[in-house]
Amino acid sequence: MAKKILAVDDDPDIIIFVKTVLEENGYIPLIARNGETGMAMVREEKPALVILDILMPKQSGIRMYREMRFDESLKNIPVVILSGIAKRTFLRSQEALTEFGDQSVPEPEAYIEKPVEPEELAEVIKKLVD
Amino acid sequence: MVMEMDKLLLVDDEEAIVRVLSISLKSDGYTVIPAYSGKEGLDQFAKESPPIVLTDLKMPGMSGIELLRKIKELNPDTEVIVITGHGDMDSAIDALRNGASDFINKPVRDEALAIALKRAREKIAIRKQLMAYTTDLEHMCRIATEEVRRKSEFQDKMITSSNDGVVATDENGEIIIFNPGAEEIFGYSRFEVVRKMKLGDLYPAEIAEEFKQGFRRKRDKKGLGWQETDIVGKDGTKVPTRFSGTLLYEEDEVIGSVGFFQDLREIKRLQKELVNSERLAAIGQTVARLAHYIKNILTGLKGGTYIVNIGLDKNDTDKLRTGWNMVQRNVGRISYLVMDLLTYSKEREPEYQDCFPNDIAEDVCELMESRATQNQIDFIRDFDPSAGKVCMDPNAVHRCLLNLVSNAIDACLFDLNLDKKWQVRVKTKQIDNVIKFEVTDNGLGMSDEVKQKLFTAFFSTKGGKGTGLGLLVTQKLIQEHGGKIEVKSEPGKGSTFTMFFPYRKPEKEELH
Repeated sequence: MAKKILAVDDDPDIIIFVKTVLEENGYIPLIARNGETGMAMVREEKPALVILDILMPKQSGIRMYREMRFDESLKNIPVVILSGIAKRTFLRSQEALTEFGDQSVPEPEAYIEKPVEPEELAEVIKKLVD
Repeated sequence: MVMEMDKLLLVDDEEAIVRVLSISLKSDGYTVIPAYSGKEGLDQFAKESPPIVLTDLKMPGMSGIELLRKIKELNPDTEVIVITGHGDMDSAIDALRNGASDFINKPVRDEALAIALKRAREKIAIRKQLMAYTTDLEHMCRIATEEVRRKSEFQDKMITSSNDGVVATDENGEIIIFNPGAEEIFGYSRFEVVRKMKLGDLYPAEIAEEFKQGFRRKRDKKGLGWQETDIVGKDGTKVPTRFSGTLLYEEDEVIGSVGFFQDLREIKRLQKELVNSERLAAIGQTVARLAHYIKNILTGLKGGTYIVNIGLDKNDTDKLRTGWNMVQRNVGRISYLVMDLLTYSKEREPEYQDCFPNDIAEDVCELMESRATQNQIDFIRDFDPSAGKVCMDPNAVHRCLLNLVSNAIDACLFDLNLDKKWQVRVKTKQIDNVIKFEVTDNGLGMSDEVKQKLFTAFFSTKGGKGTGLGLLVTQKLIQEHGGKIEVKSEPGKGSTFTMFFPYRKPEKEELH
């Protein structure tokens, strides 16, 4: 049975692009336009993988990522960050939140900086879910 | 101890006289050195060097006059009293001529001897005191001279080693001091300047004029405070300097002038370098932000072509259309970016034409409303029904208002307070000579820090999703239109942006 993969991004172009890549590679795409609905869908659908943008309206990707990692039932779902923001900026924000007294979180399973080639994205997903 | 002053040499060939006088002198407290001939007297004098000598004139062998001369040769300060025969005035005068200090007649009377001796002793005492004074004076004079020399040398060194250029003139404006600092700044050597050039040859005209006027006036205490001025060096180049100067007075009379010049060439060069490096840093930042934004567009374009390719491969018209729309949309984003950049970098005259402010606002609202309602944001129109036809640049106003409304919606979308009922209000108002467009949201709001950077090029809080040009372009368009923009904002409460445009009468008046 085809695996469900959730893409969380507010940019309609990215959504269409990621959705197409997922479909073309035989996955079932799920779409969320912000962190809030993204979180709700992760809980409800338990996808095999989450593709996550960072800068989004309502809850950002940074927060959503932490929330997933703090949740026992969700913390093993692999996350691919797909963002225009550099990886070290993302890691630094996570560190900053940890310094403010939060628990520390592990690095995401994969980090891709936009723009991404469809083949590269497909390959990363394949490696993590198969 | 025998006082040196009480030593006395007594010379006479008559032993009896020597003996009698000795007794009398000894009882007066003198130490008497007796001698019985001129020759012996001279030997004793050389040996004992007594301050007072009492000698007979008529003696066999060396006469008293001869002894007197020899003693005066040996020590001119010696007080020599001669004893002359009764009535022998010629010998007495001869002796005085040869330096004797006094004479007494034979037979020697005690009173006469005592007076002569007293005078001799007084003379010696005065001479001694005079000597002491003279020595002291010479000493003091040497100390004072040394002090003056040291002070002058110190000041000389101070002027010579000063980093500032020091130029001093006499009361006629002739240059008398030109230190190495001044040589460095002006490019002349001091040999070319000192006593050869006048103030007017070196100083900037306006300062030279002020000094020249000062030379003619009585005391006027004010000097010239520090000011920046360019001087012209020997090779004709302009040298930026910081100058301060004053006239010099003795009592109330001008005795000259002094000017201090600080070389600003290095400082100016560093300032320029700093500005350049700041500019380069700004360009670097600009390029980075632009690259980031273009990267986002590129993602859209790549995605679009990818989907178009799939559509072509599978003969899937839906995919083809989706992909093609994406490509078109992102081409649109690029042209907006380029237009923004051009608007930002170029002077532009508004294209005035008759239009209705409410029509422009309505057009913007129609464009943005769906994006707002899709995200559960209330979109409120609050148009002034009395706003009539005006003359303005509708395209520029449209761009500005679109920017503000789009920002207002973003401010709601990025708000983390999810309990809020978001609202964006677009208001128009025409009062007197002003047309006002106001966009209010109750979204994220801005900190003072963000507010300060609001109109800075390429500043964006939207990450890669904003160009950081929107408000800057908006402000520029408004200013070119003779208007202004105001911002009120509070973190967590929302923001209000208000644009004011001056009213221009429409070219074609319409009857209502």
